[in-house]
Amino acid sequence: MVRESLETLKDEFLSRIAEGASEEEVERLRIEYLGRKGKLTFLFRGFKELPPEERPELGEALNRLRQFVEDRLEFRLGELKQREKERILKAERVDITLPGSRWERGRIHPLTLVMDEIIDVFLTMGFEIARGPDIEDDYHNFEALNMPPDHPARDMQDTFFVSQDRLLRTHTSPVQIRVMEQRRPPLQIIAPGAVFRHDDDATHSPMFHQVEGFMVDSHIAFSDLKGVLTHFLRQVFRPETGVRFRPSFFPFTEPSAEIDIQCLLCEGGGSTSEGQPCRVCKGTGWLEILGAGMIDPEVFRFVGYNPDQVSGFAFGMGVERIAMLKYGIEDIRLFFQNDLRFLRQFS
Amino acid sequence: MKFTFSWLREFVDVKKSPQETAYALTMAGLEVESLASLGGQEDWVMEVAVTPNRGDCLGILGLAREVAALTGGRLKLPPVLPHVKGSGMERLVDVQIRSPSLCPRYSARMVLGVRVADSPDWMRVRLEVCGIRAINNVVDVTNYVMLETGQPLHAFDADRLATKRIVVREAGGIAKLVTLDGTERELASGDLLICDGDVPIALAGVMGGKDSEVQWDTHTVLLEGAHFDPACVRRTAKRLAIHSEASHRFERGVDPEGTLYALDRAVFLLAEAAGGVPVKGMVDRYPRRVKATPIVLREKRVSGLLGIELSRREAERLLKSLGMQVQSRSKIGARVVPPSYRRDLTREADLIEELARLHGYEKIPSTLPWVRPVGAGYDFRLQRERKVRAFLLGEGLTEMINLPFTSVELNRRFYGLWGDRGAAVSILNPLAQDKTELRLSLIPGLLENLRANLAQKARSFYAFDLGKVFCLNAQRSAEEKQYLAALLCGARGHRGLRLKEELAPNLRDAKGLVEGILEVLGIEAQPTWSGVGVGSFLHPGKAAVFGFGEREMGCLGEVHPDLCEELGLAPFLVVELDFEGLVQYAPRRLAARPLPRFPSVERDLAVVVDGTFPAQRIVSWIKELNHSLIEDVQVFDEYRGSPIPEGKKSLAYTISYRAEDRTLTDAEVNQLHHELAARIGDVFRAKLRG
Repeated sequence: MVRESLETLKDEFLSRIAEGASEEEVERLRIEYLGRKGKLTFLFRGFKELPPEERPELGEALNRLRQFVEDRLEFRLGELKQREKERILKAERVDITLPGSRWERGRIHPLTLVMDEIIDVFLTMGFEIARGPDIEDDYHNFEALNMPPDHPARDMQDTFFVSQDRLLRTHTSPVQIRVMEQRRPPLQIIAPGAVFRHDDDATHSPMFHQVEGFMVDSHIAFSDLKGVLTHFLRQVFRPETGVRFRPSFFPFTEPSAEIDIQCLLCEGGGSTSEGQPCRVCKGTGWLEILGAGMIDPEVFRFVGYNPDQVSGFAFGMGVERIAMLKYGIEDIRLFFQNDLRFLRQFS
Repeated sequence: MKFTFSWLREFVDVKKSPQETAYALTMAGLEVESLASLGGQEDWVMEVAVTPNRGDCLGILGLAREVAALTGGRLKLPPVLPHVKGSGMERLVDVQIRSPSLCPRYSARMVLGVRVADSPDWMRVRLEVCGIRAINNVVDVTNYVMLETGQPLHAFDADRLATKRIVVREAGGIAKLVTLDGTERELASGDLLICDGDVPIALAGVMGGKDSEVQWDTHTVLLEGAHFDPACVRRTAKRLAIHSEASHRFERGVDPEGTLYALDRAVFLLAEAAGGVPVKGMVDRYPRRVKATPIVLREKRVSGLLGIELSRREAERLLKSLGMQVQSRSKIGARVVPPSYRRDLTREADLIEELARLHGYEKIPSTLPWVRPVGAGYDFRLQRERKVRAFLLGEGLTEMINLPFTSVELNRRFYGLWGDRGAAVSILNPLAQDKTELRLSLIPGLLENLRANLAQKARSFYAFDLGKVFCLNAQRSAEEKQYLAALLCGARGHRGLRLKEELAPNLRDAKGLVEGILEVLGIEAQPTWSGVGVGSFLHPGKAAVFGFGEREMGCLGEVHPDLCEELGLAPFLVVELDFEGLVQYAPRRLAARPLPRFPSVERDLAVVVDGTFPAQRIVSWIKELNHSLIEDVQVFDEYRGSPIPEGKKSLAYTISYRAEDRTLTDAEVNQLHHELAARIGDVFRAKLRG
């Protein structure tokens, strides 16, 4: 009899919970079956009136039913919670096409970016950095670089003077002299910095930047100059960049060379796809990028080295020129107008 | 140097096309800057950028020699009308060189019965294609021959010379000369003059005089072909700012052996183009023969310097192709004599360059040198610069690079950290009248950048400049330092949806930048801050200077309201610091500390103090207690307004307590904190809150 009523109870419970009970209904069912006056509790009370031999079997059945009811109620609650979570997750959709939020970053000046690139290539080759003053004397800027007072090569470098014999350095080469005056070979140095020329138009700024470099030891040859600078140019431009060495003249190097790279726009062809001469290299296919040479024995004499015992090469490059070629900038003045619309392009 | 291809072919059998010839010249150091077809004439104009050492290539003859050496063509010389022996010339003119070191050679010829007129078309066209204005047949012939040979010639109207006694001398007491451009020139005593007796008739090698110039009625022409000292010509030309075709060539070295050929060529052309009849004989004063000294060329040096092995035969072949004589050979090397027209070749290194040039730079291999690793590969200063730049860009500041030229007025107002007696460095030859000095401060540059960017509708402007400033020190010699300046204007730019509230930066943002820079540099020392001695362009109450001990390192502040008004801008902030000085305080090494083993406990403290009371004072006082259980003190709030009485403010601090060897109990901390608060109340006569 009792067993039958247990079965009925279970069926009834199942049908009630199966109807899709809400959280409140689950709570109500819990009270209705397991509460102090609940249907199961009532059966437990009637338990004592049973004959002792029936008790174990029935007790077990009762406990199972109670466990069953509890589990089903818990299960249902879990189900409801899960469903609620899913509902919320479904509702909480953001519009991912809205813009991200962040503070504006600043930008590093493109000349610094290019300067850093140049410097890093040489640092990894074991060069070290030396610095010299922007305000130089005539001796270091010209004379010790084998440009005596009446030398026509001085015409190539229109000079700002601050006094009779003090001037704004026209190139970074005086750092060569300053380092060699202080130290003995071996030397592998680069000297980055600002230089000044009395000139102002779309391709000349009264201030621009150079990186000077030199290597002096007992055995350095022109072929080494070619090797080091070719490596450098292929690092800064493209690994397959064509490089060409041409004879030239600088008072402080002998032999001297001017170094060209294949035009970055027409890739050395010299003309556009429409057959017009390339506007970047003016149809030559080449771009002048570096000046270099073997350090002149006269320069070694000025710093007290014996030119029969040491040799070395020196080179110099314009940072603006490299930046203009790299980024396709046509007016040098853009670098110094500092217009944020320009600077922001270099991220 | 501009010339036509057809003209070049009058001097050398060119076996190659104009394009191939141009390439060969370029790759031999005579860069062909342009090569243009002359429409309809089957001819080409070539322009070569001649380097200052190659005076010999400022004439077609010199270029022809190069082409012959590079491509193997045969040299030839156009026709001349040599002088007929006789004393006609000697009777008409006397030449005396008083300064033989400045004028080693003076040659001259004379032509009678000249009919001055326009030059024949072929000559005019050639001159003009090559960039020289045609004037009349006599002057044009001198220019034509100069283009051919590189030897400048001058034609005097001999009938206008009173004494016909040519004297080459330094100006000495002669003060003035009107040159043929009509300008009266003030002479310096060292200028070299050509005189007719005592009357100056030309600035030697620079420009002729007006009074003896060839005119339409000239009949008798005295042709001068001389050799002048390059430095002397350059000094005069530079000082008088005359850059003539003649001075350009003399400065770069002309062949001293070339005067006679040039004169004979000119006489030939004058006879042809102006119907002149040459006077018999000629004058050739050559008191100082310019002799080339033999140069010893060591084989070992050639291979050592170039990194290639050139056979002796090949080396000699190359040298000879350039007109050099190989006098003798030994095991070490050879004695080589360069030709008279290559005055740039005086040393072994010069010959090695010639070998490299003719051998071809392209044929020298690329090698990487074996080097002793001496370079540090790490540069402390550079790394500090990079760290600070990275920090600033993260803070939203963009780097500016400004030119260092500025005006007297700006330097007077913005004198950086040099003190108000900072004397600026002047430029003796400025590009513009508002750019006559070097900047004492980076701030005016940033102000200009701000103005320009706002004019371009920038909504805010956050920028910095890491650059050099210049000053004259007490000994009046120029000093330079690397400074860092920053400018913050407007609410910091933000990307994304519009912010509910946009905050303009205030003084503490500027101070935060400075603190951040110190932190990035690893400087742990606390600078002292003071409102005394701030620049007059700053707001007197919202600005400060800071430094270490006596040494001032920088300043910051809101700009003065007057300046804002002047610029028409809302208040903004500037910072300037001595970056180079600051880096000296940066430690070379960092040491890590272990983590504390026991927890800290924090307690807040709020006090009401006078409105002018500096918050830092309580922090310093607590730190000076050096209490072993007090780890740190920070100010976290400043408040004015109700319920704090007028003229007072509330300051809130947080104090963290920690013991090294145990966990502090609440009771312990409470007691410590209570005692500390009470003492602060007493010491600073501050009312404790809450």
